[in-house]
Amino acid sequence: MKKILLSALLSAPLWVLGQGFQVNLQGQKQIGMAGAGSALALDEASVFYNPGAVTFLEKNSVSAGVNPLLFKSAFKQSGSNITENVKNKVAPPFEFYAVWGPKSNKWKLGLGVYTPFGGLVDWGDNWSGKYALTSLNLKAIYFQPTLSVKITDRIGIGAGFVYNHGDVNLQRALPVNYPDGRSGHVTLDGTGKGYGWNAGLYIKTLSNISFALVHKSKVITKLDGGTADFQVPGSLTSSFPAGNTFNAELPLPATTSLGVGIPLSKSTVLAFDASWVQWHIYQDLSFDYATNTPSLADTKSARNYRDGSSFKLGINHRASEKLALRAGVGYAFSPVQDGYVTPEAPDADRYILSAGLGYTPTSHFEVNASFFFEDVKSRKQKNLETGLDGTFKTLVYAPGLSLTYKW
Amino acid sequence: MKKYILNSFVAAAILFTAACKPEIETPAGTTAGQANFSKYIAVGNSLTSGFADGGLYLEGQKVAYPNLIAAKMATVGGGSFTSPFFTDAQANGSGYVALTALVNGTPTLTPVTDKLAYIDAAKHLAKYTTEIQNLGIPGMRVDLSFDPSLTFSAANPYFERLLTDAQVGKTNYFQYIQGRNHTFFSLWLGNNDVLGYALNGAVTVNGDPTTVLTDKVTFSSLYANLVNALSAGGQKGIVGTIPDVTAIPYFNTVTVAALLNAAKAINPAAAAIYIQTGTGAVRAATAEDLIRLPFQTAGLFGQGAIPYGLHPLNPITSNWVLDKDEVIKVKDYVNSYNSSIKSLATSKGLAIADTYTYFNQVKVGMNIQGIGINSAFISGGAFSLDGIHLTPRGNAVIANVFIDAINAKYGSTIPTVDITQYRGVKFPDTK
Repeated sequence: MKKILLSALLSAPLWVLGQGFQVNLQGQKQIGMAGAGSALALDEASVFYNPGAVTFLEKNSVSAGVNPLLFKSAFKQSGSNITENVKNKVAPPFEFYAVWGPKSNKWKLGLGVYTPFGGLVDWGDNWSGKYALTSLNLKAIYFQPTLSVKITDRIGIGAGFVYNHGDVNLQRALPVNYPDGRSGHVTLDGTGKGYGWNAGLYIKTLSNISFALVHKSKVITKLDGGTADFQVPGSLTSSFPAGNTFNAELPLPATTSLGVGIPLSKSTVLAFDASWVQWHIYQDLSFDYATNTPSLADTKSARNYRDGSSFKLGINHRASEKLALRAGVGYAFSPVQDGYVTPEAPDADRYILSAGLGYTPTSHFEVNASFFFEDVKSRKQKNLETGLDGTFKTLVYAPGLSLTYKW
Repeated sequence: MKKYILNSFVAAAILFTAACKPEIETPAGTTAGQANFSKYIAVGNSLTSGFADGGLYLEGQKVAYPNLIAAKMATVGGGSFTSPFFTDAQANGSGYVALTALVNGTPTLTPVTDKLAYIDAAKHLAKYTTEIQNLGIPGMRVDLSFDPSLTFSAANPYFERLLTDAQVGKTNYFQYIQGRNHTFFSLWLGNNDVLGYALNGAVTVNGDPTTVLTDKVTFSSLYANLVNALSAGGQKGIVGTIPDVTAIPYFNTVTVAALLNAAKAINPAAAAIYIQTGTGAVRAATAEDLIRLPFQTAGLFGQGAIPYGLHPLNPITSNWVLDKDEVIKVKDYVNSYNSSIKSLATSKGLAIADTYTYFNQVKVGMNIQGIGINSAFISGGAFSLDGIHLTPRGNAVIANVFIDAINAKYGSTIPTVDITQYRGVKFPDTK
């Protein structure tokens, strides 16, 4: 008779991946052009942007770059006069590429290691959305060995196998209070892996206008045996047992891109990319805890993502033998529908602006820098599941630098 | 040239990264609209005073919904707001109950008896007689606000505490709340006109005016007097409707089904729970009959040669039960009171905080700002350990119901309260 079930106290933590987690930073030259460039055989980053173009690279090369990313998000609860900001934390998206092939042959090998998805958001432990999320650190690192082959002098195809290593650390407060009033806390930490592929077609027409068709497959990343650490008042530990683990699945979406490269002059080229990001695979998110209790059930939360898309236009101008200047603009449509926006990825449609430059002091050595800016539109939302009600606004800044050695 | 471009590029990058914070512009906190919040007074009962966990104590007083509202009014012309707080040395006031253990989900509630504010054996509380704006008095009722005998001012220790010795026994609440030069008021009163009756199992105790069910017409005319007095100077204000008292954990935790399950665990042959209804009849209880929360710890159930509550010859007595006819009666009175409150408020152009409707939603369960809230005892988060009054979190939620209604009525933009900063029930940190 006296049994009190602590049910419905806690719905499980949520993961949401939005456009906000798609990191469009995979090559300094392309970043400087807002992420366009799949139809250009610009450099070794074509391993990512279009494996079909890799074989058209003139030299063998290795490059490494980093794009320290500052994700500045703000939230204002509906009706409140207080704006809350995420802490300044710098995420380090990086890229490493190597391309090699015998000179004047029809094929090249490539390797890419890059971070196409990720997120670093830390709202602090006591913000007004703490029961939805306090922090998230998500990293997906793709390893992609690639083969690219010239079919004719003007057509290349390429494909790579993708292995993803994913790391997730997600934390939120629990609405149960200790005697001193502070809240409980849960940390989910896990590592997962997934597989996929990346294939592209590159066509250079007689007018030197080039086209690209690229498909990057979905990568379903499975997290098995992640740790679920619940910090709750002692009297509730039987409901949230210590040493619990969880399994979950992280569906990273496929992307299909169409690219066009248009030479405006000998030194200037225009690139346009349209991408279709197939987020519809993300219909729900399920958490399977190793140990369930009446208060801690497995969960299945609706996500109902639709497909996202982006349009990017960039220009690359060779100002002199040694100096290249770049700029780009873009626009991306969010896959997150109304009612599903969360603080993990406070997603909305966004504008992209970028600039970049390259400096080639010798024929072997190259330095490229870029600056990438995203203005994510302000979005007033009430989340259907958590009831978190307010306006999100996000700005993203990512300066970047890479070094290349060519031979 | 190259150097210049490179330098400006780097400079721009640094500048952008450092300076550009996202901005969100909203009107919250910018205007009082047609209202004037410079002196707000809160009229009401235990809910207004911050009573919680079966007692009035400092932590509860500080988070009483009027205090939370007043703090937010500060950005739109609100003045100071004083409350009859207990001192830190007497922070536990009247005493209250704390959750000290949870054994297999069974709560152990223990009275807190230190730092009390009693000043004598007759349990008078330490006085607070300087001017205050939170005028909430635990136990106050609409009918007793007009207590013609003026004796309730001496009988109710929470009222007595606020009065000078010269006033005690010589005033009533209606007189007490007047002459305060307020510019804005809230009035959330009337719960006890039905709750006092219901909490006693719908049994009116002879000579105890707090267990009377106030007549509907009387309620309406007295409530009109309150509203008229509070808005006599043209003041704007807000009134709160009365929640459905049968929806609170006090009446929904010890269910007939739970009792029967407990009985079956001991004696599988147990077939029914027997109750005595308000008419004196004895019958098997159904899910529509509500048992009071304290029955859980009353030590009566199943006791005796004829097991208490399990046999028609020894039923659960009427004072423990709100039987289904009494539930209908109580609901009918609440609805009647509320229609009076709403029509009076509408005719006076006052804002209405429809807590009746809101608590009915809470009963079903809702998610607000990531917190699941419902009217379950202890785990629901909104109701304190007495099953009647609100937790700090519940107060924050209700403060927003008032704020939203005020803003909607008067075009003001009082900022809302961040409910995530307020706790639910405190769970003991021991296994």
